[in-house]
Amino acid sequence: MTDYWSMLFVFVLATFIGLGVIRRVSRLLYTPLMSLTNAISAIAVVGSIAVTGAEYPKVIRVLGAIALFASMTNIVSGFLITDRMPLYWMNDPKTARHAVVAGVTGMLVAVLATWFQPEIVHHGWIVLAIVAGFLVGVPLSLVPLTAVPQRTALSHAFGGLAAGLVGTAEYFLGLTEHPEQLSAFRMSAIVAEVILGFLTFTGSLMAAGKLQEVKWIPQRPVTYPGQNVVNIGVLVVAAALGVVVVVHPTAAWSAQVFSGIVGLAVLFGVLLIIPIGGADMPTVISILNSYAGLSAVAMGFVLNNKLLVTAGALDGSSGLILSIIMCRAMNRSFTNVLFGAFGTVQKTAVIGEQKAWKQETVEGAAQLLEQASLVVVIPGYGMAVAQAQHKVRELYDQLTKRGITVKFAIHPVAGRMPGHMNVLLAEANIPYTALVEMEEINPDMPQCDVALVIGANDVVNPAARYAKGSPIYGMPIIDADKAKTVLAIKRSKNPGFAGIDNELYVQDNTWMLFGDAKAVVGDLVKQFGSGGLH
Amino acid sequence: MKIGVPKETAANERRVALTPDVAGRLVKAGLPVVVERGAGEAASFADEAYAAAGATPVATGVETFGQSDIVLKVQPPSTQEARLCPEGSALVALFQPSAEREAVSQLAARKVTAFSLALLPRITRAQPMDVLSSQATVAGYKAVLLAATATGRFFPMLVTAAGTLPPARVLVLGAGVAGLQAIATARRLGAVVTAFDVRAVAKEQVESLGAKFLELQIGEQAEAAGGYAKQLSEETHRRELAFIAEHVKDADVVITTAAIPGKRAPVLITAAAVDGMKPGAVIVDLAAETGGNCEVTKPGTEVRHRGVLVLGPLNLPSTLPLHASQMYARNISSFLLHVTRDGKLVVDFDDEIIRETCVTHAGEVRKS
Repeated sequence: MTDYWSMLFVFVLATFIGLGVIRRVSRLLYTPLMSLTNAISAIAVVGSIAVTGAEYPKVIRVLGAIALFASMTNIVSGFLITDRMPLYWMNDPKTARHAVVAGVTGMLVAVLATWFQPEIVHHGWIVLAIVAGFLVGVPLSLVPLTAVPQRTALSHAFGGLAAGLVGTAEYFLGLTEHPEQLSAFRMSAIVAEVILGFLTFTGSLMAAGKLQEVKWIPQRPVTYPGQNVVNIGVLVVAAALGVVVVVHPTAAWSAQVFSGIVGLAVLFGVLLIIPIGGADMPTVISILNSYAGLSAVAMGFVLNNKLLVTAGALDGSSGLILSIIMCRAMNRSFTNVLFGAFGTVQKTAVIGEQKAWKQETVEGAAQLLEQASLVVVIPGYGMAVAQAQHKVRELYDQLTKRGITVKFAIHPVAGRMPGHMNVLLAEANIPYTALVEMEEINPDMPQCDVALVIGANDVVNPAARYAKGSPIYGMPIIDADKAKTVLAIKRSKNPGFAGIDNELYVQDNTWMLFGDAKAVVGDLVKQFGSGGLH
Repeated sequence: MKIGVPKETAANERRVALTPDVAGRLVKAGLPVVVERGAGEAASFADEAYAAAGATPVATGVETFGQSDIVLKVQPPSTQEARLCPEGSALVALFQPSAEREAVSQLAARKVTAFSLALLPRITRAQPMDVLSSQATVAGYKAVLLAATATGRFFPMLVTAAGTLPPARVLVLGAGVAGLQAIATARRLGAVVTAFDVRAVAKEQVESLGAKFLELQIGEQAEAAGGYAKQLSEETHRRELAFIAEHVKDADVVITTAAIPGKRAPVLITAAAVDGMKPGAVIVDLAAETGGNCEVTKPGTEVRHRGVLVLGPLNLPSTLPLHASQMYARNISSFLLHVTRDGKLVVDFDDEIIRETCVTHAGEVRKS
């Protein structure tokens, strides 16, 4: 029992440390961060080596070898991709690189330390699985950076699979050779590991498939009545069976019940992901990262391995924090997301096909702006709240310096008082000549290369033209949707003053930049200033 | 259908219901316009300008009323003017029916269909017709200019060889349209602006103009339908008064804009609170017309209370007649185009805008 206490202690400590570290990471490094922690979660490799190399029955060792292959693929591709990424962002490439080096070193130490343990006697299979891991992992790391989310999801799948297989292996090993070792605590850990591992496996495969737009995986959210009940039901049944098996680990039917748990976990993973639309995928991937980490923690408890517990806790906590941050930014309830009810937002009536919001990076947006000849800025209340007028002036200067025509289209009711935009733009010394009225600019909108919507919503909502029941019906709007490209800076997915959805945001030529207007415009200005563009 | 614009007869009213430009637009839209001679003079619009735009000048008010199918005014008609309206004609003006009982009953007796733009619902479709907002914008802006002229201080900060002059500290009470515009104008002049409002939504709006919001924990829901402030309970009102008394102490300028539609304006600054203010401070009370937010306000004039100057201006929009008329004319013509079809008045009570603004129709008084 004392050992379990110390492992619990390690778990809690590692979680806190993980939370503390992750909070300090810059927003720009989130994707490489996930890739890195994802690679670390492949610490499952340690467990896999232990199982593959020890003096266990062949079946067990086969499971271990598969798990080892999966983990190695993870490690190899994960580290290689993370290494590629910091080059893409201009900020902090040096320190980010250090993290990668540290990770690789740590992994190497862990692998070697485990390998050289006396119980490991069958080296041949270990070598084979490791080589196979490299053979698959290297090509996997060479995917285009836009495919990184899918690859990350795939890697979670491998991590989950490894955990699930090791747990299964440990159970059957215990069943055949050391039944007395299947104590309640150990069994609970095994059951947890198996459920978490397999649900992460199938869930991540589904997520990767959706992102890669694989043909037979439905792209649109698949919802049905009572979905939440079914999902939770499956999980509850799996947990209940788990309790049964914990209490009676060695009964005649225990093995079948165990297989049943595995099956349910696999099913739950699928059910969890099918109601999710493409736009929520990043949050989902982050959560699956967390689950993968937790399954590694469970593995650590099963194998009595503090290293697994630590790395898994780090992975779990980073995934958790990222998910919460993302949910907040998207204005979604975190508990909603946890119980797989991602699809509820889509219940509101949507005109036409349900489309996803496309997000652009600051670098991409800056490039779009730089290549334009006519940019029309459409400010709204969001710009006022953020008090972004001075940053907007800096952007104006950067663009006009490059010979780009910049006009500010002021809608008569933009903001919350007459002349709201005027007083702010005047404060920033935007010349009166740059301001245009709605009637004046609308005929030119089809020639506009980029319509930069800064915190404006209802005044550019196309529903005003035709949606008879809409509260804004009949109000003349600025024809932002007619521009060649629309970049919209918005605090969140919340509706504007009129409280209705705006289909401008999901148009094919619209890209979102989420965040506070001052911060986002400030980042855009930096792109022009610091040598990112000339 | 002929539109008539008489000269405003109310004292100090310099605005006119239609400017030459807007009159021209209506004429082009097929609605002939007659304008009394001199109607736009106080707002700098000459008779010739109206004529050039296609409107017909008419010699007297009596004739203007007599020839019109629909009369457009700023101020409500006096009882005599109401009697001048032809039977079954229409009239649009800006007024609270409860304050014009006599004129309203006169209009009903003459079977006039009268509309008051003060009763427009605050919906998106009615925004182009919203006179209350357009005129309040003028009031808020003008209030700051009055204060800047009346005070002995600079508004912006100045560091000079003759010493450093700190910026004026301006406190705005009430963050509605007038209050927000006052905040913006004071900021343009360089003052340090703080604002207070009982409605929670006002905080973000005030801060979006770069001013500081003073927060008082109000337990109850202080915002009524249409975005107006509600009357507060006794207890909360007491706390509000104490809070304001505390904050006016270091204000150089206080601009109060709190109004409750159809009721007496709430008292926000007690006489005792004025006693606590700095000598040389200025209060501009925009609610003087409906009783005043300050206990010592005298509507229509200025009062010196122990070194503090309290201004209670009436009809501030009229003091910026050119632009106030321009905005009023656009508002009223948007309304006009909404209630007419093919040159005829269409009184469709299913339409929210018509239903809410119609004060009298077919001899009946609908709003009082």
